[in-house]
Parts: sequence; structure tokens; C-alpha cells
Amino acid sequence: MPGTLSKKLALTKERLYSLVGLAIVLALVPVFLGFNFYYVLLATNVMLAASLVAAWNIIGGYAGQLDLAASAYMALGAVITGHLLASFGLTPWIGMFIGAAVAVGVAVLVGYPTFRFGIKEVWYALLTSALVVIMMRIYYLIYGSFETYIPHMEPEWLYLTFRRYEVYYYMLATMLVIIIWVNLKIKDSKLGYYLAAIREDELAAEALGIDVRRYKLYALMIYAALAGLVGGIYITLTGILSFRLFDPWLGIVTAVMGIVGGLGSIGGAVLAAVILRSLEEYLRGAIGATYPGSHLLVYGLILILVGVLKPEGLASLLDYLKKKIIRR
Amino acid sequence: MPEPLLRVEDVVKRFGGIIAVNHMSMEVYENEILGLIGPNGAGKTTLFNCITGVYKPEEGRIIFQNEDITGLPPHVIIQKGIARTWQKVRPFKKLTVLEAVTVGALLRTPDVDEARETAKEILEFIGIEKSRWNRLGSEITLIEHKLVDLARALATRPKLILLDEVAAGLRPHEMDELAKVLLKVREEYKLTLIVVEHVMRFVMGLSERIVVMHEGKKIAEGRPEEVANNPRVVEAYLGTKPL
Ligand SMILES: Nc1ncnc2c1ncn2[C@@H]1O[C@H](COP(=O)(O)OP(=O)(O)OP(=O)(O)O)[C@@H](O)[C@H]1O
Ligand SMILES: [Mg+2]
Repeated sequence: MPGTLSKKLALTKERLYSLVGLAIVLALVPVFLGFNFYYVLLATNVMLAASLVAAWNIIGGYAGQLDLAASAYMALGAVITGHLLASFGLTPWIGMFIGAAVAVGVAVLVGYPTFRFGIKEVWYALLTSALVVIMMRIYYLIYGSFETYIPHMEPEWLYLTFRRYEVYYYMLATMLVIIIWVNLKIKDSKLGYYLAAIREDELAAEALGIDVRRYKLYALMIYAALAGLVGGIYITLTGILSFRLFDPWLGIVTAVMGIVGGLGSIGGAVLAAVILRSLEEYLRGAIGATYPGSHLLVYGLILILVGVLKPEGLASLLDYLKKKIIRR
Repeated sequence: MPEPLLRVEDVVKRFGGIIAVNHMSMEVYENEILGLIGPNGAGKTTLFNCITGVYKPEEGRIIFQNEDITGLPPHVIIQKGIARTWQKVRPFKKLTVLEAVTVGALLRTPDVDEARETAKEILEFIGIEKSRWNRLGSEITLIEHKLVDLARALATRPKLILLDEVAAGLRPHEMDELAKVLLKVREEYKLTLIVVEHVMRFVMGLSERIVVMHEGKKIAEGRPEEVANNPRVVEAYLGTKPL
């Protein structure tokens, strides 16, 4: 049937416009920053956080699983892409997909028994947090504290060894737009309805015919794949392979941003990532030297504030603004 | 006698020391409305949970359309055509009424638009006002919860539906409305119903046949007026709820 594929790829008008609008804004950011080396790097870091949170939204926001292992899947994508490049000269364009595939493999290995035995809520959070640490130890067993550097290789576009941050910025911004698009497609699909039902009430969902374990696993696999891809791009930016990539704190921060954004709202999640990550960088620069670690305190404070004032997260704020604008 | 649609054979379900369902057997025939009554703690809900796969019975078999479905998981049982509603409502709080019913309809189609249409038909049919379709599960009244629960179960296109105290908490005129809806639903969807209910006026009026459970066992069975005058039934209910 012609048209079915294009229908599958299409979004509703309103969403398409928002996405295109976002893409244009993101494209202009480096211009507004005057192509300043430092600011573009910060913007790149913000894109990184936003992409990761957007990927997390699928398992955390839609499926309602408090997953703290975003950094494990991202780091897997990163180290595999990185080592394939550093040791075998394989282009990251292929490496990142291999990395994403391995991340999916690990997600299935972990997710299958986890969902099979009905591990949920705080236990799921603990387990996924432990996963990051376990992966870090495994990497450490193989490579120790040894850091591998990716050398500069030509041609740059093939090995992604650019000297300017703008390119990485645009790659991650593109990735972010793609991940948001994936989110929106899922939300409107059978998978999206099923994940929402699972998030709301697993037993009621199952009694309506939803194979809860299977659909949770689908969500986990998509999330791991996207996080793995993000990692693959990220490593070409930093060029340093180390066990430190498996960062438990990053896994937690990703979930915190998603929660602050309002569970299940992709707009809120991305907004939260942008605000929190920018704020963190600002604080690190402004008072980090005098009061080291103060940005961590701010995370805690913001989380408490959102919890008390806006339990629905930033998403409810976005909804409110949207209603205001439409009413005009 | 025709083959029953559902046969419960000698089912036993224990919780630690408690025997919730104790060698229970019964048959349900195509297109009938069977009332399942019994005092609190008789094991009615537990029996529903055994039939729908929420619990696996320790003994006995459950046969649906000549197929042994004992111990199959809930998402498979519903595919076979047995749907249920919940005694304690289990709403999808952050989904709208229409979305919740669409979830049910998605069992029979992967196409969201088509499922949405089915959901709309069913909502219209059971009489939930259009203006309420975009309400969230957290914003609706008790009777609406019960109707949405019924609607999302119906949306899975079942052959048999198990209703666990749908009328509880409703006012008398709301109950009459609900009874009418159920009769209409049976006609339209060629359904068979098992109705668990404490409100005797409701269940006696609606059901063609009654099975009485007490302490996990069937103690009586028959037409409503026969059962109401059965001394064993009266005795079971004495000191609990009046008939
Ligand atoms: N999950 C459970 N764990 C332990 N005991 C249970 C469980 N579910 C039910 N029971 C016990 O099994 C017995 C039967 O309970 P059930 O809920 O099936 O009765 P019921 O006939 O539905 O009662 P009611 O009319 O009050 O809803 C009761 O003694 C109850 O306490
Ligand atoms: Mg009960």
C-alpha cells in the first residue's frame, strides 16, 4: 500500500511544526553564541544531556520504570565506538551502530530476567544503578585505569575527528531531534498506549491483553539503542576512553531531569535537561571555584521545589503556557 | 444440555493457611447472565482471579470453549475471550477515558485510529457522555470509573465477561441504568456474563441463574427465587447481610 510508510513517518501538524521550530532554534544557537569556542562546547554538553534524557523518557517517562542506567548504555556505545576506531580504524559512522547493538544486547540480558521476576520501582532503580557500577568494574578489569586516546585521523568527516566543536554540536542536536521524533512516534502508536497503561497499572494492563514483560523490554531496548548512539557521538567529541565513562551519577542525573520535566512529557524532559544542565555549568563557572560541588546542592533543591510546587513537573507549566497561547 | 462455555472443575486456591477457593465447580452457558453471590470472604474474587489467570489454582481445571486454560497468564486468557472488571477500581489515572478504552481495543488491531473508533462506539453505546471522553482517569466519578472499566473490557471483544461488584457504591437509579446497559450490551455483543454482586435486588433481577458460594465452595445453584428460599443460603448469610 503506498502512503502507509509516509503515514508511519508523519507527525500531526502541531507536532511537526514544534519539531521544525526546535530544529531551527537549535541550528541558530552557535550563531547566537558567536561561534565562541567555550560556549559552543557548553551548548554541546547541553545537547548531550538533553538527548540522553529524551532517550530515558521512553523507559522512564512512558513505561514508568525508574531506570538509572542511562550512563551504562551511553558508555557502552562510547567505548565500543571508541575502541573500534582507536584499535581498528573503523569509522564511528559504523561503530556507533555496533555500539548501540551491544547496548541493546546488554539491555536484553539485564531486562529479560528483571521483568521476568517482576522487579519494579525502588528495586528496579537499585538494580539499574548497580548495573552502571558493574559495567564500570568490568571495563576496569579489562583496561584498568589506563586511558585510551583517539588520535586525530583524516579525513575528519569519516573518523569524526573534527577540531571545531560546532560539528559535534550539530551532530548531537540532530540526534536530539531524531530522539524526540522517535518519542512522539511511540507516544501515538500502539506501543505508546501500551506503555502508558503499564505505567499506570500493570495488572489492569495485563488483564487487557498487554504482555507487560515484552513491552517493557521493547521500551528498554529502544532506550538503550538511542543512548548507545548518543555515546558513540560523544566519544568522538572527547576522544578519551576510560572507565570513568560508566558514571553512576550521570545515570541518576538523567532520571532526575526526566522526573523534573514531568514524567512522560518529552517537551518537559528536554526543557528540564536544557535548564538544569545550563544552570549546572553556570554555577560551576560562577561559584564552583569558591564552593566546590555547589551545583549538586542546586540539583537537590530544584528537585525538592518541583516536588512540592509542581508535582507534575515542567510539563504542567508547558501545558499551561500552551493553553494560554491558544486561548488568545 | 449443551456444552458449557466455561467449566470450573474442582478448583482450589489457598493463601498460606486460608483456603479461599475450596473444590469449587460450576458451569456457565453461552449467552446467559449468571449471578455469583456469597457473603464477604466467600472466595468470589479469588475465583475470578483464578479464571482470568491472575492466580494459578493449586488444583482443578478451568475449561473455556473446550480448551484447558488453567494457569495461562492474564494477557493470554483475554485473547481467548474472557474479560473482567475489578472490584476495587484500577484506573489509568493519567490517561483520558477515551485513551483507556482505546488500550482495550488495541488487543484486536495494531491500528490506533481504528482502535479509537471502536472505543468511541463502545463509549457511546454504554452511555458515557461525549463531553467526558477527554477527562483523565483521575478526574472522573465512581460510576464513570465503573463504566470505563466495563468499556475497556468490552473493547477487547470478549465472549465472556466477569463483573466483580460493578454496582457497589451506586445509587438505586444508577443501578437500574447499569442493569439496562448490561442487558443491551449482552444483546449487541453476544456476550455471556458472570455477575458478582452483594446488592440482591440488582443481581436477582438481572441474573437468569444464581450460584451461591460460601467458604470457597458452591452451596446452592438455581433460579433466583429458588436460591433465595434455600435454607442453606439463608443460613450462610445469617449474621452477615440480609437477603
Ligand atoms: N491476596 C490474598 N492474600 C491472602 N489472602 C487472600 C488474598 N485474597 C483473598 N484472600 C482471602 O481469601 C478469602 C476469599 O477472599 P475473596 O476476596 O475471594 O472473597 P470475596 O467473596 O470476593 O469477598 P467480598 O465479597 O468481600 O469481595 C478471604 O478470606 C480473603 O481474606
Ligand atoms: Mg470480592
